[in-house]
Amino acid sequence: MATAASTTNPYNGPLKGDNPFAQITDNVSRIMEAPKPPLAWYIAMAFALSLLGVFGASLGYVVWEGIGAWGHVHPVAWGFPIVNFVFWVGIGHAGTLISAILFLLRQNWRTAINRFAEAMTIFAVVCAAVFPGVHIGRPWLPYWMFPIPNQMGMWPQFRSPLEWDVFAVGTYATVSILFWYMGMIPDFATFRDRSTSTVRRAVYGIVAMGWRGSSRQWHRYERAYLLLAALATPLVLSVHSVVSFDFATSQLPGWHTTIFPPYFVAGAIFGGFAMVVVLAIPARQFFGLKKIITMKHLELMAKVILGTGMLVGYAYAMEMFVAWYSGAMFEQFAFVNRAFGNYAWSYWTMIFCNVASPQVFWFKKMRTNVWVIFTVGVIVNVGMWFERFVIICTSLARDFLPANWGELIPSPVDYATLGGSFGLFFTLFLLFCRYMPMVAMAEVKAFIPEGHAHDEDDHH
Amino acid sequence: MKPKSKPKYWRSLSELEGDSEFQEFVEREFHSPTEQTPLSSQGRRRFMQLMGASFALAGCRWQEEKLLPHTTQPQGLIPGVPVNYATFMDVGGVATGLLVKSYDGRPIKIEGNTLDSVSQGGTGTFHQAAILGLYDPDRSSKSLQGKTPSTPDAFDAALLDAFAAAVKKGGAGFFVLSQASSSPSLARLRAELLKQAPMARWVSYEAADAAGPRAGTQLAFGKALTPMYRPENADVLVALDSDFITSAFPGGIGHARAVASRRDPDQGKMSRLYALEASLTEIGSLADHRVAVAPSKIAAIAAYLDAQLSAGRAAPGAQTAPDEAAVGGAQIKKVLDVIAKDLLANAGKSLVVVGSGHAPEVHALVHRINFVLGNVGSTLQFRETGDTLAGGVDELASLVADMEGGKVGTLLILGGNPAYDAPADIGFVSALAKVPASFHVGLYVDETASLCKWHTPLTHFLEAWGDARAVDGSYRIAQPLIESVLGGRSELQILAKLLHLPKQDGQSVVRDSLGLSVAKLGSGADKAFRKAIHDGFVGESATALEVELQQIGAINLPASTDLEVIFEVDPALYDGRFANNAWLQELPHPLSKLTWDNAALVAPDTAKKYGLSDAHPCTVTLDGRSVTLPCLVAPGQAEGTIMLALGYGREQVGVVGGFKAKDVLSVGANTYAIRTSKAPHFALGAQVKAAGSRVELAVTQHLWAIDAIGKQGEDEREDVLVREATLGNYQEFKKQHPGHAAHGAPHPGDIKGKVHHPPKLNLWNGPVSYDGHKWGMSVDLNKCSGCSACIIACQSENNIAVVGKSEVARGRELTWLRVERYYKGDDKNAEVRQQPVMCQQCESAPCEQVCPVGATMHSAEGLNDMVYNRCIGTRYCSNNCPYKVRRFNYRNYNLEFYGTTPYSGTDDPRAKLKAMAFNPEVTVRGRGVMEKCTFCVQRIQNTKIQAKNNKRPIEDGEIKTACEQACPTGAIIFGDLNDKTSRVQAAHNKSRAYELLQELNNRPRVNYLARISNPHPELSTQDGHSSEHH
Repeated sequence: MATAASTTNPYNGPLKGDNPFAQITDNVSRIMEAPKPPLAWYIAMAFALSLLGVFGASLGYVVWEGIGAWGHVHPVAWGFPIVNFVFWVGIGHAGTLISAILFLLRQNWRTAINRFAEAMTIFAVVCAAVFPGVHIGRPWLPYWMFPIPNQMGMWPQFRSPLEWDVFAVGTYATVSILFWYMGMIPDFATFRDRSTSTVRRAVYGIVAMGWRGSSRQWHRYERAYLLLAALATPLVLSVHSVVSFDFATSQLPGWHTTIFPPYFVAGAIFGGFAMVVVLAIPARQFFGLKKIITMKHLELMAKVILGTGMLVGYAYAMEMFVAWYSGAMFEQFAFVNRAFGNYAWSYWTMIFCNVASPQVFWFKKMRTNVWVIFTVGVIVNVGMWFERFVIICTSLARDFLPANWGELIPSPVDYATLGGSFGLFFTLFLLFCRYMPMVAMAEVKAFIPEGHAHDEDDHH
Repeated sequence: MKPKSKPKYWRSLSELEGDSEFQEFVEREFHSPTEQTPLSSQGRRRFMQLMGASFALAGCRWQEEKLLPHTTQPQGLIPGVPVNYATFMDVGGVATGLLVKSYDGRPIKIEGNTLDSVSQGGTGTFHQAAILGLYDPDRSSKSLQGKTPSTPDAFDAALLDAFAAAVKKGGAGFFVLSQASSSPSLARLRAELLKQAPMARWVSYEAADAAGPRAGTQLAFGKALTPMYRPENADVLVALDSDFITSAFPGGIGHARAVASRRDPDQGKMSRLYALEASLTEIGSLADHRVAVAPSKIAAIAAYLDAQLSAGRAAPGAQTAPDEAAVGGAQIKKVLDVIAKDLLANAGKSLVVVGSGHAPEVHALVHRINFVLGNVGSTLQFRETGDTLAGGVDELASLVADMEGGKVGTLLILGGNPAYDAPADIGFVSALAKVPASFHVGLYVDETASLCKWHTPLTHFLEAWGDARAVDGSYRIAQPLIESVLGGRSELQILAKLLHLPKQDGQSVVRDSLGLSVAKLGSGADKAFRKAIHDGFVGESATALEVELQQIGAINLPASTDLEVIFEVDPALYDGRFANNAWLQELPHPLSKLTWDNAALVAPDTAKKYGLSDAHPCTVTLDGRSVTLPCLVAPGQAEGTIMLALGYGREQVGVVGGFKAKDVLSVGANTYAIRTSKAPHFALGAQVKAAGSRVELAVTQHLWAIDAIGKQGEDEREDVLVREATLGNYQEFKKQHPGHAAHGAPHPGDIKGKVHHPPKLNLWNGPVSYDGHKWGMSVDLNKCSGCSACIIACQSENNIAVVGKSEVARGRELTWLRVERYYKGDDKNAEVRQQPVMCQQCESAPCEQVCPVGATMHSAEGLNDMVYNRCIGTRYCSNNCPYKVRRFNYRNYNLEFYGTTPYSGTDDPRAKLKAMAFNPEVTVRGRGVMEKCTFCVQRIQNTKIQAKNNKRPIEDGEIKTACEQACPTGAIIFGDLNDKTSRVQAAHNKSRAYELLQELNNRPRVNYLARISNPHPELSTQDGHSSEHH
């Protein structure tokens, strides 16, 4: 991986400090402290910002023209925007899973990547949250979905799974942000303490919220972290289960499936981990974090991808089986059509990406090759997008009455909003990399071998 | 922020309207500096004056003259309370009685006149769409001298001078070209004109006219007569390439109701219907046996039937039976043998009808068949043709010859657009240039107007007095609903002035023709005239004549050729006169489901043979002339035939239909370009070849060619969605299970029990108990012919926006009601089933449960109310609706089409005029909200209020939804399911009633009555009614 960029990369020099703790601090802090980030960051940022511009312009166009600018057709009333929404919500899963569930399961390897994954979660949820708001016909009124007392006497209709979504995603986003932010407080304090400029000290001082590193603060911090982890754990399962209710509780063949909640959660973890590796591999390269995010971490994540990929594959098979077993004509047709009908190409793309491609991780050689992991990560993300496309669009395209059948014809604006949402995601992520502690320094220190050489009072 | 390379269909044209360059163009072309039309300028003030005037016309002026043409007599006009006026619409010389709902002096909705002896309340698509035509700002509003704006007075002066000069020469050189007309007043004025100028000539031309029927009676009975069909008396009906139940057919709406009245398997004897036809048609949709045959085979088929029927009867001049090949093969011969047997068995109670376009000899032969069978008098009657102007192509040809020969000094064209719709071989356009003084009176500055020396606007039929004869010979009266909005004058007014009649206003002319003038009848005249206007008609139908059969010679069978072309009068645009009506342009063709275009319809095998495929252009060549248009593969089309719809490809009509001068693309292709005077209906010897790559076609239902999985899925479910049985099986079942339907329990083998599902239980009790009313609907699939009048009626009643071609191509059309088409059988002999689907108003509605903002709610009467104001447009309801009857405003369609909405306001006079078509009782939806069928809730509420004020219950049938009112066959019934005696309750109790997708347990309030066919026992296996397998 010795590229031209890495030779000019300010982050690839020797680490300062005479002990591993100092070196970790230096390794993470210098990313923010360097006067200039590497060239790759600028290139990536320019790319991300232009995509973000596309996103803004395309959404502006949609708001101005009406959502007819997108390619929705009758009967496919939910097209790319909802596919994107579910895709991004799914991406947002790995973060909380790594932070909360792996924390509770004492999977200490997670500390190298948890901050990062949490950030990814937040940004993915931000991307996801854009879509339900603008995809509605009157995008200036999404607040009518919130239970705000008003003089019009309007109240949400709580039987609607969309209403459940509002709360599920809202809760998830809130808890994730709290969790992420709280975890960063000690690291912000480190940044503050190392600051050489007044502005930086002031800004990091404010966000560090007066952290002094006292034992009482550490005690409170760890309790709170544990509690939030416990609170977030059910949310990992609930948010995508609830999102899947949008489909599962409806009457549409291809949507009306009891397997959806676990299938969606497995798919979300699958896609989320794939996104983590896609982000982690370049980040560790360009920000000189190879010592913290090691090949061991990548290999573990590859294993998770393999495992969840097979769960997803099982769900695909089970859907087919149940459709056949149900004996219900419309249900059977929906699935046969999915695999062999007018959208068969999207189904087989999904199968290749989500079921076939992770199988390479059975081989250790593959699991430990960053190029393979990165490529599979990208492929899985493509596959997970197609999974949502297959579920949402192909089921709608051919439902009960043949007279209604139609085919979604995506418009250029559809592609622009899809691509643009990556612009938002990467912009936020690149800003995060540059200005926030990308690795949970305090937590990593707790689990390095040197950390265990001392007694528990190390932090005092 | 609009994409640059948008196709120039009408939507971009509406944008064009706002374009200053276009405005300037319009000003320059049509606007006079000296005279202003009411709506062209001065903005709101003048507009209000106009509205005031029209209100005064409909309101105060009536009061003054004590003419109260109310069907429901109010004590006084109350603002905001609509009033109905009787009138009629004449299309191609055939009058259909109508009731027009006027709202504060503004006509907003057209309904059928239930008192009308012919239509019995039914209407067709043209009639329903006329409201939009009335408020079309592209209509001519200016008199023109050449291209220069002029005044009506100048037009009149020039015309009167020309006439006066001609009168001095005895009228020589003065020619009038009118459309077909049955108007007694026009006939009277024509007689007057010919009296004043005996050497003048009056010719009529109607593109849709066919000489066959008239000449056929001449051949068969020795004189030209008008047939009056009585299908209600026929036990066996044979339609030989004749779609005699469409609104384009003279009296077709009446025939539709009469045919449908005999299609009820629960009541009376059900008729048997055979249709032998080239294309799938409305009558073919209803038929028990439908066979695809090319038009060239019809003569042989008629001859064959005649030979079979005359065998053993003392009927001189029977035809010799043509051989098997001549009638189209062994299968058709077998069908014909059965038909002959069936006709003989039902002699005197049968009817054979042949298509208007066929040769006079074929008509004569079919008259002979009916005569021999003793049907004349019972199922077929004849009346005197009288003073009707039919408009044959020969008349036009002779006129053109005179024009070429320099014999025509002055030509007055009264309506009509021969420069567009004249046959291609007679050269009308070049001949017109040789006429020194040509005057055009028309609704539009159209292709003909721009070639004439003078033009003056004509009134829309809702703006003028008029009269006509219906197909049964009875008298119809039209009264103006509104002052001429664009300053036009009627033909009667112009002629009255030309002829210096003492009283020149339309009302006097009509009244004098009626013979109800005070001078003649004295004091009773006013009362009689009032009643005539109130009812919309006068007098009884004409008496049936006795006829005597003449000897008919042996018929010449046409030589068979490879390819024949059929010219069809478009079910929406007619001959092209409605081309600027966006409702009609966007109406899916009843069979092909094509909108905003015409196509060459070919059978799958023919397509394969000539390398044609769906949506790929093809060039059809006939006698060296050719036209290129997209191809549609249509199962059920006879092999070797190409069907072309007329009425498209207008180059000068308006922003909807086409306007070449400003690069407004024509909609569709002009098929008149290859239509000749020799063969205006069917032409042999055509060539066709593929011409280019795929084009976008806006079809509302997917094309027949679909992937194998899709086709399989469709075939699988058809029998469940459109259920059918044979009459024999149905009666057997009813006999075995008497009264079972009343208990409502589905039974295997029953139509209801066709789908096996677990018991339909509910998890919870519904929140509504339906104590008051419980609205329901039934749709009889045995009666629906797919004519689509209901779609336009719904569009007009409920302010449903037009979306334009590119949006229809994306399935975004907003029609609340669609007619689904299912093909049955193989592609050679496909039959078609029609199923209107509107909101099913489910009791356990999936849409209501998923709306996050409660924008769709269940009413206490069981309606799924849609609260537009509350809708934020998540579209979840549409996704969860198994019928997909919810339609979404992806764009601001109303604003785009009308240029305004009742809420946005505008100073644009064009937009203001268009917006007058809005029904004030229905919210005009804006962008981003879902909309759907409401069971015409505004009608329900109005009637409830009336009933409550009068302290009486609502009668069954008092509330009619727009679709029900328009339906010519009476297939749709609406009513209260809590009323145990209601028609809808009776329909729901029938054992052929079923719910669509009942296994989902949505408990829809719409029940479909299964299609019960009555096949001949000897043909039932051959026809393979696939539903029998279950």
